Amino acid sequence: MSDSPDPPAPLLHLEVQQVSVVYSNGHHALRDATFALSGGTICALVGVNGSGKSTLFKSIMGFLRPSAGQVRINGQPVAAALKQHLVAYVPQAEEVDWQFPVSVWDVVMMGRYGAMNFLRIPRAADKAAVEDSLRRVSMWDFRDRQIGELSGGQKKRVFLARALAQGGRIILLDEPFTGVDVKTEEAIIDLLRELRTAGCIMLVSTHNLGSVPEFCDQVVLLNRTVLASGPTADVFTEQNLTTAFGGVLRQFHFEHSTIQEHDGRTVRLLTDDERPLVFGKDGHLEYKDREGREDLVRQREEQGG
Amino acid sequence: MPDFLTPFHYDYMLRAIWVSALVGGVCGFLSSFITLKGWSLMGDALSHAVVPGVALAHLLKLPFALGAFVAGLLASGAMALIKAKSRIREDASIGIVFTSFFALGLLLISLNPAGVDRKTIIFGNLLGIPDKEVWQLVIISAVTLLVVGLKWRDLMLFCFDPNQARTIGLRTGLLHLTLLTLLSATAVAALQTVGAILVVAMLITPGATAYLLTDRFGVMLWLSAGLGIVTSVTGAYASYFFNGATGGCIVTLQTLIFLGAFLFAPKHGLLSARRRARANAEATAAS
Repeated sequence: MSDSPDPPAPLLHLEVQQVSVVYSNGHHALRDATFALSGGTICALVGVNGSGKSTLFKSIMGFLRPSAGQVRINGQPVAAALKQHLVAYVPQAEEVDWQFPVSVWDVVMMGRYGAMNFLRIPRAADKAAVEDSLRRVSMWDFRDRQIGELSGGQKKRVFLARALAQGGRIILLDEPFTGVDVKTEEAIIDLLRELRTAGCIMLVSTHNLGSVPEFCDQVVLLNRTVLASGPTADVFTEQNLTTAFGGVLRQFHFEHSTIQEHDGRTVRLLTDDERPLVFGKDGHLEYKDREGREDLVRQREEQGG
Repeated sequence: MPDFLTPFHYDYMLRAIWVSALVGGVCGFLSSFITLKGWSLMGDALSHAVVPGVALAHLLKLPFALGAFVAGLLASGAMALIKAKSRIREDASIGIVFTSFFALGLLLISLNPAGVDRKTIIFGNLLGIPDKEVWQLVIISAVTLLVVGLKWRDLMLFCFDPNQARTIGLRTGLLHLTLLTLLSATAVAALQTVGAILVVAMLITPGATAYLLTDRFGVMLWLSAGLGIVTSVTGAYASYFFNGATGGCIVTLQTLIFLGAFLFAPKHGLLSARRRARANAEATAAS
């Protein structure tokens, strides 16, 4: 019930063709970037800070005019796609003024402005779209809250609802999982999967490497240009990631000595973007060469309580 | 005849009161956008930067609003240019441009002392405002009210999230220019009533006060306009008893109301924030 009766969603194409962006201070932010996506897909955009992720986003949203190359959406230039409200953007939390006197409902309604008349007075269809979007992200009960009173995860869902209300078919998400609890992360991923089934293209910029293989079917690796793009299994390899991140990526090697027969060859790894915490069957993998000294490990465990 | 009705017996006082109500309302209306967009300093700068335009308009026998308007746009253009093309920060570029313009204005006035009274520009002269200038104020106010009344939602989105405004196809460049133009125009209008130095109060204080009192933009808009009208009318009336210091009366009143809101606002006031903090501390202690 969100939009006028959905036409059998035409296949969606996003093409970034040899895009180069040079800023006015001479900084070459992006050079010869090329990739293509077709809906529905969830594509991760991965790279270090300063690798050109936000520059790429800005080019797709038409904020920047590439000094060479072009972005085409369904074969048309970006400006034409914007007129049809095809591109929606879910901003990073830091970009938003959370003290602005607007409610959750107001923010989601802003997604409808493009479709409204000159005075932007909401019609029944607009209100229905806003309600529907809020219910889909389970934020309907919070509709009258001022946006600053929400938790990190709720804030994210409000802006996701705005993208839904807008009816965007190409959705750009900038770091959607920072400051978000695990439950919300799962809820967001479920929603993205639904949208993929509906034929949308989602481009997700993220530092959360661990979750990429879980929900992204494609990956674009970026470092001032597109290093690799394509299906996750082909692109998201150790070799490619090492190239993309250089020395920046934290590494943790599981050698023969760390993972022992004793653990049944299974480990759990917890990370907080810092040194990951790795667990074997009997707790923290702290002792090397525990084989043959299981008693000692157990003893320490008991002492630790 | 009680004393407090005497101001209403003079035509010039009646006119001063309704003119200041109009200007105060329009400035209040606009102040919601200015404070939320973070353009307070810009408002201050523009109100000073229009002075050479006013002086030149007097010299050339043109409507003062036209001269002020051109000067305002030139100044904001110069600020944008310096910010874009040099490494100087925005606040410094605003400082450089508006003081240059203001200095030029003072120079022009002293070269042509007969044209315009320096005191009028700096302190305003609501009580002695000539008819043709009243008409200019009415036109400025009508246009501003019309534009804001029709497009306030677009302007709100532009202040809140210019990126979203662009992605759904709003012309943000045009919205930016519109807001800047309205700001220049109302700065000129307020110049007449309270003078160049106090203009910025008219353009900020009502919005800032309303911001403390509500979490809804629509409410904030009406509240700030209402505050602008009430303080301006009361200030103009009171100035009869204070030797004509209209600007001083209006702005002092606005400040008093702001202080009240700062302390006692139901949600964002100092006292209620303290009360909340104490309640939280007790709740933590109890649990």
